[in-house]
Amino acid sequence: KDKSAASKDSTPEGAAKRQDGAGTPKQQLLDIIGDMRVEVTYRKKLQQLKASENKKRAMNKLEGPDSEGSVPQGITEDTQRGKPLNPELVKAASAVASSLPRNKKQTESELLAQLRRHEETTDKQKKGGTVNICNVISEMTIKRQSPAQRGVRVSGRISLQLDEDGQRIKRERSSAQSMDSRRSLKVGKRLNIFTKASTEPEHALKTVSSPTIWDLEFAKEVAAVTAQPPRNGFEEMIQWTKEGILWEFPIDNEAGMEDDAEFHEHIFLEKHLEGFPKEGPIRHFMELVICGLSKNPYLSVKQKVEHIEWFQKYFEEKKELLQEI
Amino acid sequence: MAAAAVCWALRAARQVLPSPCPRQVRSYYVDWRMLRDVKRRKMAYEYADERLRINAIRKNSILPKELQEVADKEIAALPRDSCPVRIHNRCVLTSRPRGVKRRWRLSRIVFRHFADHAQMSGVQRAMW
Repeated sequence: KDKSAASKDSTPEGAAKRQDGAGTPKQQLLDIIGDMRVEVTYRKKLQQLKASENKKRAMNKLEGPDSEGSVPQGITEDTQRGKPLNPELVKAASAVASSLPRNKKQTESELLAQLRRHEETTDKQKKGGTVNICNVISEMTIKRQSPAQRGVRVSGRISLQLDEDGQRIKRERSSAQSMDSRRSLKVGKRLNIFTKASTEPEHALKTVSSPTIWDLEFAKEVAAVTAQPPRNGFEEMIQWTKEGILWEFPIDNEAGMEDDAEFHEHIFLEKHLEGFPKEGPIRHFMELVICGLSKNPYLSVKQKVEHIEWFQKYFEEKKELLQEI
Repeated sequence: MAAAAVCWALRAARQVLPSPCPRQVRSYYVDWRMLRDVKRRKMAYEYADERLRINAIRKNSILPKELQEVADKEIAALPRDSCPVRIHNRCVLTSRPRGVKRRWRLSRIVFRHFADHAQMSGVQRAMW
């Protein structure tokens, strides 16, 4: 089966190049196609069509610039001896070719060539990364000198030197800018030509021992040298603000006050009264204390809790005295 | 690694060191009385909370009197300089004990000197 596939692949190439009909290889091809069973769904056909169209476009782009014309031919010649195609793919290609209205032989040969190229690239990619020239060239554009620019340059040589330079420089600048604006750097697929340089693990574990005296001295020296006296009033004010002498404007009334507690923590302080006896004058006294604290907006919750705890400690110490009473 | 350590040290040094730009830094108090006043203020700040709490126990009609007597003794046992009554507002520049205006913390003579040289913001000679 490999032999037949290989021979069949070689013959369509020959057929495409010759462009003449008839001959035994064609008959053989027709026989083979007729023998093969085609079990391809419509969706697959569509996919194949789309794939073939994309590849045709790529091929056209490839064959646009003259220098690159030799490349696809070279590839095809190389791949003739490569791995034979998957017979299913071949079947699908033949089905597609049969469905298309154009010259079936040519389309089929082109499709097969495309498939082979595809296989080759997939193999290469499986082994290692390849630079797909299609991708590289698809993004590039040919720099075309408009006749107007050419005329300018020619006329520029005749006129004064200053004008020439000025014009030339201006035009080049504008042209360069326009080119850059059209082709921005980050547009397009990644080519993977360069390997990413492995950045050193900067966040690796650094056992920073306490800085030595020399380090501190050096740091002090550096600070003394770099801290220049302020050149004007603004810099002086900036320095003062950094040091904390000057407040930050617009004035924030809650600067330095970071009380994240909700209002209920300020007001409902009865839960802190658990250490006290439930009856008696002490409870009465503490309830008054709590009433006063709940109305105090100047203390933080922490300070209020400390207040209550101080009283608790105080009364604990005086327990013996209280028992006598 | 060394750079990180140096940076850390730099930051620490910056916080510790005062900036070396030419500015008047008062390292001495005007006289000893001013210094004593400063000490009293510091102590009063330290013991303010305790004094408040003990006084809350003392100035009470609910708690038993024995407890209040104990509290009296306790507050008397605190250091003498901790009570705020001993603070006296002196002039900040000359340490003059009398003739000090509270708003500016300056004695009358210094105040007058600065106001006449137009170094007091919003202060003008009265004329009506």
